[in-house]
Amino acid sequence: MQIDILARPANTITKITFARNEEITAEGGSMVAMSGGLDVQTTTHKRGKRGIGRAVKRAFAGENIFLNHYKAERDGAHLYVAPNLSGDIMTHELQGSSLIVQATSFLAHEASVDMDVSWQGFKNMLSSEGLFWLKMSGTGKVLVNSFGAIYPVAVDGEYIVDTGHIVAFDEGLNFSLSKAGKSWMSSILGGEGIVCRFKGKGTVWCQSHSPSGFGNALGRLLDPIVEYQQ
Amino acid sequence: MKHVVHGAPSFAHIEITLNAGDTLIAESGAMASMDASLDQKAKMNGGFFGALIRKFFGRESFFISHFTNMSGRDAKIIITQKAPGDIRAIKLTGGGFYIQPGAFVACETGVKLDVKWAGFSSWVAGEGLLRNYVHGHGAVFIGGYGAIYDKEIDGEYIIDSSHIIGYSRDIKLNIGMSGGIFSSFLSGEGLVARVEGKGKVFLQSRSVRNLANFINPRL
Repeated sequence: MQIDILARPANTITKITFARNEEITAEGGSMVAMSGGLDVQTTTHKRGKRGIGRAVKRAFAGENIFLNHYKAERDGAHLYVAPNLSGDIMTHELQGSSLIVQATSFLAHEASVDMDVSWQGFKNMLSSEGLFWLKMSGTGKVLVNSFGAIYPVAVDGEYIVDTGHIVAFDEGLNFSLSKAGKSWMSSILGGEGIVCRFKGKGTVWCQSHSPSGFGNALGRLLDPIVEYQQ
Repeated sequence: MKHVVHGAPSFAHIEITLNAGDTLIAESGAMASMDASLDQKAKMNGGFFGALIRKFFGRESFFISHFTNMSGRDAKIIITQKAPGDIRAIKLTGGGFYIQPGAFVACETGVKLDVKWAGFSSWVAGEGLLRNYVHGHGAVFIGGYGAIYDKEIDGEYIIDSSHIIGYSRDIKLNIGMSGGIFSSFLSGEGLVARVEGKGKVFLQSRSVRNLANFINPRL
């Protein structure tokens, strides 16, 4: 399988070229175009398996509950996938390790990778961003997308990331929801609200822009009459 | 304090290194990530009344954040803006600079944030009765939606008012019509800013308000 990430970083799109019998799973709605010779199955979990439990969990995670599985029937079949917002796409290769992906950043994974909703505790409920996490494990490639650029931070000790700026992190890192400074009052009044405090050793990938930040800035200017009609 | 702008022009974000004891002033919610050794405090944006005026007339946030490095070694913070676009640093050396609502991202502590009367024509143009004025010494960061162009002005120049994000103190800004009353509105240019004087004007290639104007009829 060949993965080419094109038109980075603003209008990024991924071209996946398959060898026969190779498989990939992509988020529902992310397909832009595809060649012939691809068999597509839509399920709520793994290809050929029913997984209502996991689908419900993913629905809670704010994700599309449907996943599309693409399997190549011939060499050279290809598929284009892209996210909704303008931003970058990154590949991450798993080799037995696990990656925790913020739900809206998930784009696709190879069939050899297993995805599950990672329940990081009730603390997630507190965040206005509706933080939910997908745990990717196994071996193979995972594709994640961002709003804006992606920058990795090698954490050794403690590091703080605003909840709207997390793309993914190594499973070895622990995180807790926390305040940006010494006082909760300051963190909330200062517009930082709840932040993620990562502890341990590993990498966290951040996005330069927050979808809810831009959404709120734009949403404020949208016609209020439309809201009343809903 | 040192800074590097990454991701420009589409997704500019600033990596700022704060030395021990340094403080950075940033717009509410501008922190993307930072070393855990930094402390954040919310402060009223220029005292209670100043903050109140800025909130209601200058359309700025009531609170701003102060990030202070209390540890003994350098610490880093990533600062960003809400809209995807470019960020520029302006070095103030005693001079002053006007910043349009929403364009302020961050500044060093030597920079003072004030408001000044902008006039009724500015209000009519939807730019607010007051304008934000930064002065003093140090770096101030301004952000725009899309690319940022800086233009040296000597004499008169015409700009669509929604594309201005900042201009030097010695430039006078008058809001007016680009042509006659009919041609101005028929051409879709509406109100424009006539700038006059000598100095620099910073422009953004897109405008969030214009994006909203595009979406609104389609909702």
